[in-house]
Formats: sequence, structure tokens, C-alpha cells
Amino acid sequence: MAGSPNPLPPPDIEARLRAQFGDDIMGFEDQYGHAVATVPRERYREIARFLRDEPELAFDYCDFVGGVDFQDRGLEIVAHLFSTTHHHNVRLKTRFPQDDARCPTLSDLFPTTNWHEREAAEMFGIEFEGHPQPVKLLLSEPFEGHPLRKDFPLMSREAKPWPGAVEGEEEEEE
Amino acid sequence: MGLITEKTPLASIQPVKFLLNWGRRWSLWVMNFGLACCAIEFIAASTSKNDFIRFGVIPFAHGPRQADLLVVAGTLTDKMAPALKRVYDQMPDPKYVISFGSCSNCGGPYWDSYSVTKGVDQIVPVDVYVPGCPPRPEALLHGIIKLQEKISGEDIREKFSGRLTQPAATS
Repeated sequence: MAGSPNPLPPPDIEARLRAQFGDDIMGFEDQYGHAVATVPRERYREIARFLRDEPELAFDYCDFVGGVDFQDRGLEIVAHLFSTTHHHNVRLKTRFPQDDARCPTLSDLFPTTNWHEREAAEMFGIEFEGHPQPVKLLLSEPFEGHPLRKDFPLMSREAKPWPGAVEGEEEEEE
Repeated sequence: MGLITEKTPLASIQPVKFLLNWGRRWSLWVMNFGLACCAIEFIAASTSKNDFIRFGVIPFAHGPRQADLLVVAGTLTDKMAPALKRVYDQMPDPKYVISFGSCSNCGGPYWDSYSVTKGVDQIVPVDVYVPGCPPRPEALLHGIIKLQEKISGEDIREKFSGRLTQPAATS
């Protein structure tokens, strides 16, 4: 690695993404100095590849891939990318409805995503299309259900409500 | 222990029984099944300040086949449970289990979790439960003393036959 890292500020990352993909960048935010891009599922892989291969961006390392359950508003996949040459970050988000829980895999672009996607798949019931090893990572094989979905029933709580609730506090909606 | 069988009355002779139980209670090779932060308290109990070796509890058996006592210290998950069962099955009789900490007693703070086994007594028979989150090393010492009290009053013939006994006490 020659020279010192020169991280791009989030507006510059946005400008480069917009120049390449235009309105397919559905949203872009600067959250506390971190770039967050929301992209459609159809172009998720393509945009991730662009982020990796463009020399000025060079996001060559994927920190983490996680899921978020927004219930009626769908499921979201968040990929955290980092550039080891430039030392800048971007978060790539893509959202899709719960009854169509499919997402392209990034595991051929970023080998680290392999396990993260397996975890997101078992926890949220998302199918990662093209994943080389679509089996459970952390849960035991006979486990049924997707425990990080908001509608996953916790059997202990079915029998007994959570004892830590503060009096006067609103019960969480089921 | 070929002398102690159903046919020989030797083990029911009071001094012999006393001697055997005395020997066993002061020589407990312990297998640390450390799963979480409780394992650190277990280690603290084995080091110089608390030093359970003075009770004859010899830490870090080379493997379950050399151990008399299994201390389950920490959060047992459903995925880990078969491994615990396997370790327990490999231990030679007579064998004892101390469940150390709230997680292994009943699930503790993970009582509503989707992945945690709510009590190791579902998997292996437990002799002494030590409560706490995590329990202090002194609590483990108390648990060990309780276990020794249990051992000293045991009918060896019954114990050696491999029949399971009831939990002794909670320290």
C-alpha cells in the first residue's frame, strides 16, 4: 500500500454512485460521517461490484451483513463495506417485502459475507440466491422458524410475560 | 472397584464405607465445562486466593475420562447440549455434576431465549446447584463442601451400580 490513506467524504461517494447509477440510488444519507446508500434489490450485486472495483472507491472488505425486520415495511439487508486502501466506509441497504424474502448473494464478491449471509438467512428466513453453501450456521439443524423475525414466538413468554416491564410503560404491540 | 458388587457385603461394613467415601470426597478430579463468564469464576476458585485444591478438588483433568466431577459453568445452548451429554457419558462412575450459575441452573437471564437450554438438569443429573450470576468463587467452594457432605453419606454400592441419585442440596 503506497502513501497514506485518503478517505473520501460521503458526498463524494454519493456523487460517484449517482454518476454511475443515477436514480437507482434510492436514497443516500450521511450518518455521522458514514455513507449509507439504499439501492434496489435488482441492482444490489451490481452496485456492490462497482463499489469494490472502482479504484477511487475500492471497497475491498465486507465487515458485516445483517438483516432488519421492519414487519409490514419489509425486510432489509445491510452490508457494511470498508476500503482497506482508502479507509472509508459505506453501508449498502436493500429492502424487499417479507413474502418475497430473496436477495442476491455477495459471497463471490466478498468472501467474508458467506457466513454473515448464512446467519441472516437462518435468523430472518431470507434466501440468498447463488449462495454456495445455503445451510444453517449457528442454529442446530432441526431448529424451526426464524428467531430474529419480530413475529417469532418466544415460548417462555407465551407462558409468562416478561417480568422486567416498568409499571405505567406501554406494552409493546404484538 | 471389583470388590464392591451386589454380592460382596464388604462395602456395607461401616469402616470400609467410611474409608472409601473419605478417599473419594477428598480427591475429586474436576472437569471444567466452561461455557461463559461463570468459567472465569471457576478459574478464580482454582487459583491461589480461593484455592479449591485444599478441598482435594484437582482442576483441569486431562479429559472427561479422568474426571470425577463435572462443573457446568455457563450458558448451555441447545446446540451445545449434545456435547455436554457426550462429555458426561465419557466420565467413569461414580461421577458428580455441579451446575454453576443461573444459566446452567435454569437459563438465568436467557430464560426466554430461543437457543438456550433452560437448565442443564434436562441433559445430565445434577448433584449440587450453585446460584448466582455469576456466583462468587466462595459460592463454588460452598457447593463443593455440600457435594463432599453428600459423598461422605453415600451408599457406595448403590452409587457404583450407576443408578442416578437425587440432587443433594443447594449451596
